[in-house]
Amino acid sequence: MKLAILGSGPGGYVAAIRAAQLGARVTIIEENEVGGTCLNWGCIPTKSLVASSEMFSKAKRLQDFGIETTGNISPNFLKILERKNRIVNLQIKGIRNLFKLHGITLQEGRGQVVSPTEIIVESKNGAQKTVTADRIIVATGSKTLQLPAFPFDGRQILSTDDVFRLDAIPKSLTIIGAGVSGCEFACIFRQLGSEVTLLEKLPRALATEDTEISHIFERELKKRGIRFIPSITVDKIDMRDGGVHIFLGDGTELGAEKALVSVGRSFNSDGIGLEKVGIRKGTRGEIIANEKMETNIPGIYAVGDVTGGHMLAHVASAEGIVAANNSVGGNERADYSAVPSAIFTSPEIASVGITEQQAVETGIKVRTGHFQFRTLAKSHIMGEIEGMIKIVSDESSDKILGVHMIGPHASDLIHEGVLAISKGLKTKDISNSMHAHPTLSEVLQEAAADVHGEAIHGQKK
Amino acid sequence: MNPDDLKYHKEHIWIRPSGKNVTIGITDYAQDSLGDIVFVDPPEVDTEIEANSEIGEIESTKATSSIISPVSGRVIKINDDLTETPEIINDDPYGKGWIAIIEIGDSAELDDLMDSSEYTKYVEEEAK
Repeated sequence: MKLAILGSGPGGYVAAIRAAQLGARVTIIEENEVGGTCLNWGCIPTKSLVASSEMFSKAKRLQDFGIETTGNISPNFLKILERKNRIVNLQIKGIRNLFKLHGITLQEGRGQVVSPTEIIVESKNGAQKTVTADRIIVATGSKTLQLPAFPFDGRQILSTDDVFRLDAIPKSLTIIGAGVSGCEFACIFRQLGSEVTLLEKLPRALATEDTEISHIFERELKKRGIRFIPSITVDKIDMRDGGVHIFLGDGTELGAEKALVSVGRSFNSDGIGLEKVGIRKGTRGEIIANEKMETNIPGIYAVGDVTGGHMLAHVASAEGIVAANNSVGGNERADYSAVPSAIFTSPEIASVGITEQQAVETGIKVRTGHFQFRTLAKSHIMGEIEGMIKIVSDESSDKILGVHMIGPHASDLIHEGVLAISKGLKTKDISNSMHAHPTLSEVLQEAAADVHGEAIHGQKK
Repeated sequence: MNPDDLKYHKEHIWIRPSGKNVTIGITDYAQDSLGDIVFVDPPEVDTEIEANSEIGEIESTKATSSIISPVSGRVIKINDDLTETPEIINDDPYGKGWIAIIEIGDSAELDDLMDSSEYTKYVEEEAK
């Protein structure tokens, strides 16, 4: 069985490895560097910047921990990027080694699907090669969405990719869009010392999160000195005096050294031959795939961002595994019942399952349990007391339906909730399971107990 | 301990009337229950507020708590010192730790508030 995969991001490369494990002869086609957006422009580079900016913030608080310092501490953006590059390069090498280990052929160049069994790959020097395959997986991903009103110039009006081409920390930065990326960059640059203004057309930041989580996050923005303006549109951005001048929908104006436009992503579904073979696309240009990751053309699968679903690396990987299994004769469906989301703001935000608002909207009767990180000794030991966890459970069955948290290491802590939801666990299952002390994980046990008014610590209700 | 010249709201807010304005803050009991205060999110100047509604939040090392407005009206001034030094509420809740000045809409609302002896009794009841 020969399998060709278009794109080597977290959807494509994971599919390649799984298919190779199942005995397929795999060719993976990549136009740029292996690892896709996640490794080269998204998850990994941004989290590397988060780590540097958090380190700087912590360094400024050394005295609180009894550590005396002399001299100045200051961030050097070029060195921060160098560190980012080292991390990215290490991971790139890792993926390339995995390809070798599994006998996967990496074909570098831009692939065009010409039939359900053929992809023509054109390399940078113009050389063409035809890759033949019994099955094809399209995993071409997405790119930053550009709005016609303010096209990126890469210097003053930035895309999220352009951030990694800056040579210094902007003195002031206005970010358009308070979604995941916008909020992450707001926290990164504020911690590195920029004056940050965050604009959002919706009434709250991170609008898909639970409202209580958004509310606490907005307070944290204020605490950190990030100016957040909700329910505002941007009419246009002028370049002026070496900076940008932003005209807002309410008639007011804002000046900043740079603007970062973070308003969404568009799909890499053009110019790769999909029309030629008749692959059906949705109104936004996304490839339509079912839960088996099949497109409308037999033998061609699609996974990850290009299918317009969750737009998360780990979802792409899970879909990649499903597509790989199915391409060699399996009959699996992707399971989206417990998809975690992790936002690397300061503090971190993570969630899985439904919010209390979604439960109300769909008529599910729920109970909720809350617990504040500041109630834990471990939070005080770490000097990170902000945040809260909220568990949403079914009123009659006690099954956990949603876990939402903002606080230190939320992105790691969420997985107890993922397991609980995917296995149909009840709040009692978590509250009756021992959690080591002193750890941040205690928030889950206490919040689960709080669903029944039985949290040991915290204030009396 | 609770000054006699102030009025008190059941959400542990003190009120100092002065003409058509009132100054508000949280009581000594409230600051003591909260513990070390680390952040105050006050209402913005010019916000129109209603009595008994949440107008801001206070975070301490062990809890977060809403600031409930005891009266209706418009916020005309907030205590800027709370931005950098929120702990002044712990040190001096009735003085330097004031939170906001509100231009009251209906001075009759003041009649519904407690005096210091009533508030002291109220707190004793709540602590039981």
